Amino acid sequence: MTFFSEDRMAELRQLFFESTQEILQALNEEALRLEKNPGDAETARSIRRAVHTLKGDSAATGFRELSQIAHELEDALAPEVTSAAPAAELVELVLSAADTFDGMLAAYRGNLQLPSVEPLQACIARLRSTGASQSETAPRSPAAAAPLMWSEYQQVAIHRALQRGKKVYRIVADVDPNCLTKAAAWQLFHNVLQRTGEVLAVQPENAGSEQISHLEVVIASDKPEAWIADRCRIPAVIASATVSAWKARQASVSAAAEPPAVAGAASPVAENVLRVDAERLDQVLNLIGELIIGRSMLQQVLGEFSRRFPKDTLRNKFADAMAFQSRVLNDLQRSAMQVRMVPVEHLFRRFPRLVRDVAKQCGKEVALLLSGQETEMDKSILDAIAEPLAHLVRNAIDHGLESAEERENAGKPAKGTVRLNAYHQGNHVVVEVGDDGRGLDPALILKKAVERGIVGSEEGARLSPAETLDLIFRPGLTTAEQVTAISGRGIGMDVVQSVVQKLKGSISIQSQPGQGTTFVLKLPLTLAIIKSLLLRVQERLYAIPLNAVVEISRASEDAIHRVDNHEVLQLRNTVLTLVRMNSVPAELAPGKRIFVVVIALGERRYGLIVDELVGEEELVIKPLDSEVIVSDLVSGASILGDGRVVLMLNLSAVVDHYSRRSLPPLASPALPAPGSAAGAASGGAQ
Amino acid sequence: MEQFARVIRKDGQTIRYLIVDDSVFARKNLSRMVESFGGQVAGEAGDGRAAIAEYDRLQPDLVLMDITMPEMEGIEAAERIVRQHPEARIIMVSSVGYQENIVAALQRGARHFVQKPVKADVLYEVIKYVMGEDCVVAKGATQGS
Repeated sequence: MTFFSEDRMAELRQLFFESTQEILQALNEEALRLEKNPGDAETARSIRRAVHTLKGDSAATGFRELSQIAHELEDALAPEVTSAAPAAELVELVLSAADTFDGMLAAYRGNLQLPSVEPLQACIARLRSTGASQSETAPRSPAAAAPLMWSEYQQVAIHRALQRGKKVYRIVADVDPNCLTKAAAWQLFHNVLQRTGEVLAVQPENAGSEQISHLEVVIASDKPEAWIADRCRIPAVIASATVSAWKARQASVSAAAEPPAVAGAASPVAENVLRVDAERLDQVLNLIGELIIGRSMLQQVLGEFSRRFPKDTLRNKFADAMAFQSRVLNDLQRSAMQVRMVPVEHLFRRFPRLVRDVAKQCGKEVALLLSGQETEMDKSILDAIAEPLAHLVRNAIDHGLESAEERENAGKPAKGTVRLNAYHQGNHVVVEVGDDGRGLDPALILKKAVERGIVGSEEGARLSPAETLDLIFRPGLTTAEQVTAISGRGIGMDVVQSVVQKLKGSISIQSQPGQGTTFVLKLPLTLAIIKSLLLRVQERLYAIPLNAVVEISRASEDAIHRVDNHEVLQLRNTVLTLVRMNSVPAELAPGKRIFVVVIALGERRYGLIVDELVGEEELVIKPLDSEVIVSDLVSGASILGDGRVVLMLNLSAVVDHYSRRSLPPLASPALPAPGSAAGAASGGAQ
Repeated sequence: MEQFARVIRKDGQTIRYLIVDDSVFARKNLSRMVESFGGQVAGEAGDGRAAIAEYDRLQPDLVLMDITMPEMEGIEAAERIVRQHPEARIIMVSSVGYQENIVAALQRGARHFVQKPVKADVLYEVIKYVMGEDCVVAKGATQGS
């Protein structure tokens, strides 16, 4: 049945799956637009076009079931049905159709059992019957006849009248077939309407034609609809007339005027845009990474050469060539990364639908404000944060926003607002999810956390407000009083955090009681190549992302104090919690100088104690197989120019791991226990 | 003759007609019809000029006006009457062949038109329509002739 080879067909299907995603997105967007402007004929048309394209494409790809149901839907979306059907029902139908199509596509893709289309068919049938019953109220009414086209000028006149706040009516009339003087009939009808209100548009436009049998007029009038209808039933002239309040959707609907669906109309992709498999791009990026390693190797060799032959003129030539190559390599890396960058809009555009659905489920009115859609970020990061972001938005609507009543009592607009914002900050992309709801209550969070044994009551009492808020990222904690279908099942926030951290990003909370909560996700621009700080701890070489480093400070061991279970250091006027990856000495060696790398994780800062700083380097991070390494303390590895392997630390896991372990009992300063002192001496500072 | 429910003015008064036609027979015919509707023929005129004078004198509720008449055509008479009395309700009575004249009369202020030969039931409906809210159909009081 196909004239394509298997390969060609597979490629075609792939293309089909990609383009249908866009069609489904368009369906979702148009349905929401229709919900905002019920009866907008243009939107209804574009929905039908999208369904038409889907029908054609799926038929061409051999997905018969999808094509069939799309065909049924397209039929049901005929202008005469959509103009008669209640807008809300239409919106529901289109949205559920988008969902059904999505399910079917997923099934085709995974060779799974197709989902049932019966619910959708039932929806279609319902729409058709309501559409039909609406027109049955006036059996064989002239309104059901093919609507006429209004000229530009007439549309402007109608539009202006509406803008002036006039009531506008559309009147459709059939001339009495017994009336032999049709032109006179037209004139009389026109006269009557002029006495009724302001005639905005008439079809036909003048009495010239002898063949007039059908009249359509749009008037603005202060008179009630029934009265107008009564006046329009002119004896001996007009056989029947229907009057209806003007709706924008009647503006210019005409089956004949509907532009033919253009293949790919739903995907406004310019001609010079290529679709490239992400895997191929990764490959290119990978090779660039290898080149960068090669550059470090060359640089190392050059360094050695310079040391050995400091006078050699060849040295400068080498250096120049290296500098040039290095510059080009930087540009190449940047361009290749650019290819992977997509505007955040790709992600944000899914949210209007999500917000609508969740708001409906929660019975809340929610406005969604999007900003910074043009901000670009790595596609893989974008894909990875889609779910966490959706979770945050669901939470914001379900828990963050109060009920309309509560909001009004608090003096806030009944309609809640959820904001999504994105912007660049240095080497990072920041994505914010905010609401103007009730805000997080640290006391409530603490109470729950203590109840569930997540923190001890004493420890909890000492937490700063920000630290208390961070407790919601701990597994098993939910502050929702009610567990709903949407959120609050105690899974989620910890998953959100772990995803963000896996991406070498961080998440922080800003919350004002009564004013709302904002989650700030800070994500790296790219995952593949990271500027890193190389450091040494206990003879081992590690790397940490340079953008997590706030500053590097030196301190002597005796400046370190113990508070509870933590080692802290006073740095200028702040107290820094220290993280020691080596064993903690039972006895601090006074006067011993240490390096403290101050790192930022979200809003919090920690001091990482290291033995030696090695330098900065651009590292091409390779993921580590779970078979190679089974620790979440390390997030990847890289090869240096000299062939050494360096492990990339997963800072949040490191901080988590080492700051929570209990410190060995502090020996009395006067008389250190010999055993523990010896152990500390062997494992500790050397 | 068919029977019609009596159509009277909103204030309970009988509707007064001015019938304008150059044909005595046509005038008689129309008179009988309007009387069968419960109306009263206040006056008749055989041409347009007389129609204007009679309208001024009688101030009828309704005028039935032929289009083709000597001295002054119905169109002009209608136009002049409406200019003087914008509230005047004039129904043009005309043969099919005079469509342009009907359109012209309508453009000049005539309220309706009926085609010759005039059918009583059509005229009855037209009169009710033209009187609109200013008339009521008297209950029970059916009057034949």
